[in-house]
Amino acid sequence: MNRWMLTGLLMAGLVAVDAEARIKLITLPVRERVEVQLDHDSATLVEEERVVPLVAGVNQVDFSWANTQIDPSTIVFRVLPTPEAPPEAPPEAPPEALPEVQAPEGQAADDADALGQGRDAPRVSVLSVTYPEGENALVWQVAADRSASVTVRISYLLGGLTKGFSYRAVVGHDEETLTLSQYLRVSNFAGEAYGDTGIYVGYGEGFLKPIGVNETKQMLMRRVAGVPVRKVYTADRHRFGWLDATQFKLKVPVHYRLENTGAGGLGGEALPAGKVRIFQKDGPGDGATVAFLGEDVAGYTPRGEHADLFLGVAQDIVVKRTVEGREATRIAGNLFEHRVTLKYEIENFKDEAVTLRVAEEVERLRQELGLATGQAAEWEVGAATTFGGGPVAEETTQDRVVFAVDLPRRSGGEDGDEAEKITRRLEVVFKNQW
Amino acid sequence: MKKLAWMVWCVAAVGVPGAGAENIDLSTVPSRDTVQLTIYNSADLTLVRETRKVVFREGNNPLQFSWAGTLIDPTSVRLRFLSAVDKLEVLDTTYPHDKPAELTWNVGSEHAGEAVIEISYFTSGVSWSADYTVIAAADEASASIEGYVTVSNQSGEDYGDAEVRLVVGTINLVEQIADLARRAGQRPEELAPSDRRRFRADAARQSMALGDRMLGQAGAANPATPQPRRIVKQGLSEYFIFAIEGTQDVPTGLRKRLPSFKADAVPVEVVYRYRPREYGDRLARLYLMTNDKASTLGASPLPDGEVRVLRRKADGRGLSFLARQRVRYIPVGEEMELNLGVDPDVGFELVTRRVFRDNIWLKLRRPNVYYKVGEPTPRGVQVDDRSTVEGWDEHRVMLRRVRNDTGRAIRVEARQAVPGDARFISRLGAERFDVSTVVYRGEIAPGERVEAVYEVVTRQGYRAKQSRVEIVDGDPAGWGRAEVRGGG
Repeated sequence: MNRWMLTGLLMAGLVAVDAEARIKLITLPVRERVEVQLDHDSATLVEEERVVPLVAGVNQVDFSWANTQIDPSTIVFRVLPTPEAPPEAPPEAPPEALPEVQAPEGQAADDADALGQGRDAPRVSVLSVTYPEGENALVWQVAADRSASVTVRISYLLGGLTKGFSYRAVVGHDEETLTLSQYLRVSNFAGEAYGDTGIYVGYGEGFLKPIGVNETKQMLMRRVAGVPVRKVYTADRHRFGWLDATQFKLKVPVHYRLENTGAGGLGGEALPAGKVRIFQKDGPGDGATVAFLGEDVAGYTPRGEHADLFLGVAQDIVVKRTVEGREATRIAGNLFEHRVTLKYEIENFKDEAVTLRVAEEVERLRQELGLATGQAAEWEVGAATTFGGGPVAEETTQDRVVFAVDLPRRSGGEDGDEAEKITRRLEVVFKNQW
Repeated sequence: MKKLAWMVWCVAAVGVPGAGAENIDLSTVPSRDTVQLTIYNSADLTLVRETRKVVFREGNNPLQFSWAGTLIDPTSVRLRFLSAVDKLEVLDTTYPHDKPAELTWNVGSEHAGEAVIEISYFTSGVSWSADYTVIAAADEASASIEGYVTVSNQSGEDYGDAEVRLVVGTINLVEQIADLARRAGQRPEELAPSDRRRFRADAARQSMALGDRMLGQAGAANPATPQPRRIVKQGLSEYFIFAIEGTQDVPTGLRKRLPSFKADAVPVEVVYRYRPREYGDRLARLYLMTNDKASTLGASPLPDGEVRVLRRKADGRGLSFLARQRVRYIPVGEEMELNLGVDPDVGFELVTRRVFRDNIWLKLRRPNVYYKVGEPTPRGVQVDDRSTVEGWDEHRVMLRRVRNDTGRAIRVEARQAVPGDARFISRLGAERFDVSTVVYRGEIAPGERVEAVYEVVTRQGYRAKQSRVEIVDGDPAGWGRAEVRGGG
C-alpha cells in the first residue's frame, strides 16, 4: 500500500499555485530506487529517486504522505543529472541551478562531485516549497529551461522504520571456540511499503530487499567461525552478591569472553549492541546437535576490546568470603589507618582446572565495613595478601581491585573426586582516614 | 478570506456615523494597491504597510478601518498621506464602543480629488524562520550549505502581491502584539505608554525607509526561465533585513519555504571536544565552519534556525544522516559549530587510577597551632587524641583513554574544570583556559589508543588559600611504576 505520492503537475509558465483549478493533468513518477540509511543511532534516512517529467517553465511537483511518520521538516529535494552526462559543468550556471550529481555505479561521491549537468541536461532549480494547510503534503515549484525528464532524489527522516542487531553464538563442545552469526533486524512500522530497497546500517555490506508494511525482516550480516572464547569466573561480593549470605558464599557468575580482535577472526569493525543467544554443541563431531545455554545482551564492543556474555551462575565453584580481621591504628589526633583482611575459601568441584577472578569494589567495601567517610578512599594492598602475582593490572583501578586464582580440577581424596580447598587473603589498608 | 476592510462613507448622504442612531449607510471600499510585510523572527510581530487610493472631497471625510477576525494590534494602526500631504489632516480617531475591531478617522481635506494614503499596523500570526541543510563531502573536508527561509501566515488575513521583508534580530516589546490584538476596542492612549508608541513609530519609519531603498535595488533581472527569488540582505542598526525579491501571495494558512542561499565547498574542520559545560559529559564530534567570504559564505549573518547535517557516503550511495540541531544567530566572520554528538568510533573514558593524601595538618588543642603529620611537634606542644585534621593535599591520578577507530587522524580537545586551590600536573602541554579550567589537546592517528595521564592536587581545609588552578609540567605521582600498588 503506497501511501506516498509524487505527482508532477504540468503547468508550464504558471508560477502561482492555483488552488481553485478543477482541470489538472497529473503524472505519477514511480520510485526508481530507494535506499534506507540506518547508520544513525536514532534516525532513519530514506532516499528515493524518481524520474520526473518537467516542461519548460515552472512545474508544480506535489509530494504527499498519509499515515506515515515522515518528518516534513527534513524533506530535501535534489535534482540529479542524467547519468550519461559529460563531465563538465556549464560555467554560466548559477549556484542555485547546480544539482547534486548522481555517481555512476561504483564511483565515489567525491568523484561524482566533479560531474556537472550535461550539455543536453535541462537547467533546473527549485523556486519554493509550499505546505498546504492541514495536509500531509508539500508542493515544490521547479523551474526548467526546457522540457525533459530529470532524476530527482528526495530524502527525509522517517519514524517507525528501525533496526536492531542480534547474535547467535554456537560454542564448540570444548568451549574453546565459537561460531558467531550476526543478524540485522529491520522493522517497518512506518506505514509505507518499499520494494527492492538498499538497506545500509553502517556496518558490513548493504542489502537489497523489499520490506512491506508492518513487516520485520531479519538478515544474516556475517558469520565468523573459530572465534576464540574463554570462560571467565568471577567472585565479586558487591557486583554479583551472595549465593547464600548465611554461609557467606558468593555467587560465581560465568561469562564467555569474546575478543573483538583480528586474532579472533573479528576486529574489522565494532560489534553493535544486541542480544546474544548462546548454544553449545553437545559433542565433538560434525553431527553434534546444540543445546541452549542462555542469552545475554552484549553492549557496543569497539575493535580491540572484549565482550563478556553472561551464561549463568557456576554451581561447581564455591567461594566463601569472610572478614577475618580489621584493625584501626591511630596515626595522630583523629587520623587513622584501617587494615581489613578478607579471607576467601575456594573450592573447584569441576573436572577441569579454571581461573577464578576475585574482585572487590573498594568504596562499597568501605561502606560494608562502616569505614566510609566524605573523602575518597586512599588505599593499598597490604602485605598480608596471599594472592600471588598482585592485582590484575588492566582491570584494577582506584575503585576496583581484581586478583586471579588458578583452581585445579578436583582430584583429592580416596576416589579422586574431592576438591582442594584453597584459601587466599586480601589485606586492604585504608590510609589517612578521619 | 479577507478580514480587513475599510470604507469611505459618503458623508453628504449619511453624515458622520455614530453621531446618532443612523442605520442606513452608504460606503465605498477602495482596494489595496500595495502591501508590504516586515516580519520579525524574534517576536510574534509583523509590520504591515499598505497603500490605497482614496478620493477626497473638501471638508470632512470619514474613513472607517476594521479588522475583525485578525490579529492586529489596534494601538499601532496609523494613517499617513503620501500625496496632497499639506492639504490632508487627520482631525480625530474614534474607536466605537460597540465595535471592537474598528476605528474611524475623520480626515479634514482642502483637496478635492484622488490621494494616496498609507495605513500601517502591527499584526501577530505572521512569522518566518530560517533553516539550513549541510551536506558534508565523504572526506569531511568541505560541505555544501543551503539556506532557506519559511514564511507562515496564521494572522487571519490574506496578503496578495506582498513585498516581504524578514528582520533578523532581537526586538524589545513591552507587550505582546497578540495580547494587544485581543484587547481590541480599548483606546490606544489607555493601552500604550508614549515610549512604546514612539518606539514603534520609529521602528516603522526606519523599516519603511530602508524598504524603499532596498526594493529599488531588487527585482532588476527578469530572465526567460524563472529563477529562485533572490533574497537581498542588508543591515539596519542592530538588525538585519532579508528582502525577498518581487512580491509574494501570502494568504492566511500559508507556509512557504524559499531558497535563501547556497554555498558549495565550504571548508569544514572536524574536532572532538570534551567540554562538559557546553556539550555534556561526553566527547562531542563537531563540524566547524566560518561564516566568511573565504568559506564562500559571509554575505550576511545567518539567522538562527534548524540545521540538518548529512554526509555523502564514501561508496557514492547517497547520504548518511548525522544530526539535526538549532544554531543561534551567526554574525559575519563568526564560527558555525555543528554538534554531531558522540562518535561510536571514538572512545573516551576517564579512569581514576589512584587517590592519596599528604601534607596532612592537625590542629592541636592549643589554639592556632598546626602540626604537620610526620614532622616533629613544636616544642612544648602535645599531640593528643582530640587533635583534628584541618588541612591536607588530595592527589588524584587520572587516566583519560581515547580510542580512534575512525579511518583518519582526529583532533581532540578536553576542557575541564579543576575547582579549588589546585595544581594540574601532566606532560600534556595543558593550558589554563580560565582561573579554574584547564584545556589540553592532541591529535590521534587512525587506530591509535592514547592514555593521557594527569594528576590533580587540591589543597583542602585550612591549606586552601586560593581558588585557582596552577598548571605544572611534570610527571603525575607514581606514574610509570611497573608494579600496581593500591589503585595506582
